[in-house]
Amino acid sequence: MSQLFRVMVDLWLETLHRRWVLALFGGTTLVLAVVAVSLQLDAVDGAIAGSRLFGKLLSDDIVSTDRALAPVYRAFVYVSVYVGGLALAASLADVAPELLAPGRIEHLLSLPVARWQLLFGTYFGVVLLGLAGSLYGGVGLLVVLGVKTGEWNWQLLLGVGLGWLGFCVLYAAMVCAAFFVRSAAAATFAALGTLVLGLLASAREAFAQLFDEGLGRTVVQWGLVPFPRLATLATTAADYAAGQRLDVQATLTLCAGSGLFVAALLAVAAYRFERLDF
Amino acid sequence: MRLAVSAAVVAEGLVKDYPRWRGPAQRALHGLSLSIPSGAAFGLIGPNGAGKTSFIKLVLGVSRPTLGTLTVLGGSPEDVSVRARIGYLPERLHLPSARTARSFLSSVASLKRLTVPRAELEALLERVGLGGVTQRIGTYSKGMRQRLGLAAALLGKPELLVLDEPTDGIDPLGRVDVRHLLLEEHRRGATLLLNSHLLSETERVCDRVGVLVHGRLRSEGTLNALKAQARSWRVRFSGAVDAVALGALGFRPEGAHFHFDGPSEVALNQALDQARTSGALLVELSPSGVDLESVLFGSVEGAAA
Repeated sequence: MSQLFRVMVDLWLETLHRRWVLALFGGTTLVLAVVAVSLQLDAVDGAIAGSRLFGKLLSDDIVSTDRALAPVYRAFVYVSVYVGGLALAASLADVAPELLAPGRIEHLLSLPVARWQLLFGTYFGVVLLGLAGSLYGGVGLLVVLGVKTGEWNWQLLLGVGLGWLGFCVLYAAMVCAAFFVRSAAAATFAALGTLVLGLLASAREAFAQLFDEGLGRTVVQWGLVPFPRLATLATTAADYAAGQRLDVQATLTLCAGSGLFVAALLAVAAYRFERLDF
Repeated sequence: MRLAVSAAVVAEGLVKDYPRWRGPAQRALHGLSLSIPSGAAFGLIGPNGAGKTSFIKLVLGVSRPTLGTLTVLGGSPEDVSVRARIGYLPERLHLPSARTARSFLSSVASLKRLTVPRAELEALLERVGLGGVTQRIGTYSKGMRQRLGLAAALLGKPELLVLDEPTDGIDPLGRVDVRHLLLEEHRRGATLLLNSHLLSETERVCDRVGVLVHGRLRSEGTLNALKAQARSWRVRFSGAVDAVALGALGFRPEGAHFHFDGPSEVALNQALDQARTSGALLVELSPSGVDLESVLFGSVEGAAA
């Protein structure tokens, strides 16, 4: 077992005891359980003839299953990306600052673990925890709706995976910030800032039009170039989960841009960590 | 200067600067050269800000020297294979509150690339006085946390044990246990590097001592050799005794008497002359037994002179 994996296991053992992480897990389970128990779908031959929630009629139109459930899958991915991602980022905001806490970092660095292993172990430990959480919710919804309708939308899981890239971007910003200012608040601020800039980057041209032509507009246009288009990523993920075809070329470009951004932030964090005295 | 080959720690000309936002860097170590023989129990003593913790952090590879060279167990302190042979107890170990001692020790063992059977973990916890303790670390007292940190440091029978205030927060009876434990480790062949403000602990555990003052090694050697170098006198004054003024001259009050630690009779007489000038009358003077405190005070006075 590599040291990188050992650092990740250590982090999982610790974070799984956190109240906010347990609350997120419990909340997701509760929502799935309520939906499983209270949602009634009358599925006949690939169509839904009626749906009831807590016994109350939602719709009695006859709609094909995939069309009827597409908004549900789309909404789930949006919630998973924005609400789930931000909630997880907030609940794990102190992981990297705590790694650097006096009395802890000295002890960790005195063990046979390289600094880069601590950094990447922490980063990948947290983002994999995020992926596990997203997939837990995604698989839960897939099973609940699959059992009720007989339709198994596997695209939902890939959509969730695409959306999770957004969390990878936010957490890279948080880790990088923590190596400059050891504070959970600073890490959270970095995540929120990256999210806002990522949303603006998705509508870069339209946003730039709000500025007068000249230096201001050019600065906005070029200043947003490095940021991954997080809104576009979330929409692509949601559309794919809802059954739409994927523009492979555009999606790969989005993923590569996000990956490049993450790699750049982690490289800055690693550079900083290697030069820090404790 | 060629230092001993069979040394656990060899420092040559170590300089450590901490950069500041404004102004010149703060120098914590000024060209420190020191050799700690393998198998020694070495105590590092000195006043606050002397550079003891800076030196320990360099030994562990937590900080890097600005200048000079440092060899630990024959290699670089940044080499992970060297660090695998070191056990470290920080002054204030940050422990995961939600986990148990066994879970924490298992993680440390894993990061040390050790496979420690459960029975061995239990024996180690028993050894540090935490046998049978099952509650989460968050409920531990300061002393229990310190004992757990010690257990983590002892995992894997390290060749070099670096202990920063190992008995901090532990009650007097517990300190005796820790002292016995450290002496056992020393007998096993481990090299001890001990930084403690409790000079009596250092004196009881260590066979060699180094005195750091203002980032410089003032004296270093076996305890007996250092004691032989240091001189201490017991003095009693009458008349207009100003304890603050006498303190500034190097006289330490102890009950109705004062102690003076200095390198020679000349230093003693110079201090006495100044005390008499200020109105104090000498009524009693006798040589007193030298302990580690006298060695430390003598070194600090020597540095100030």
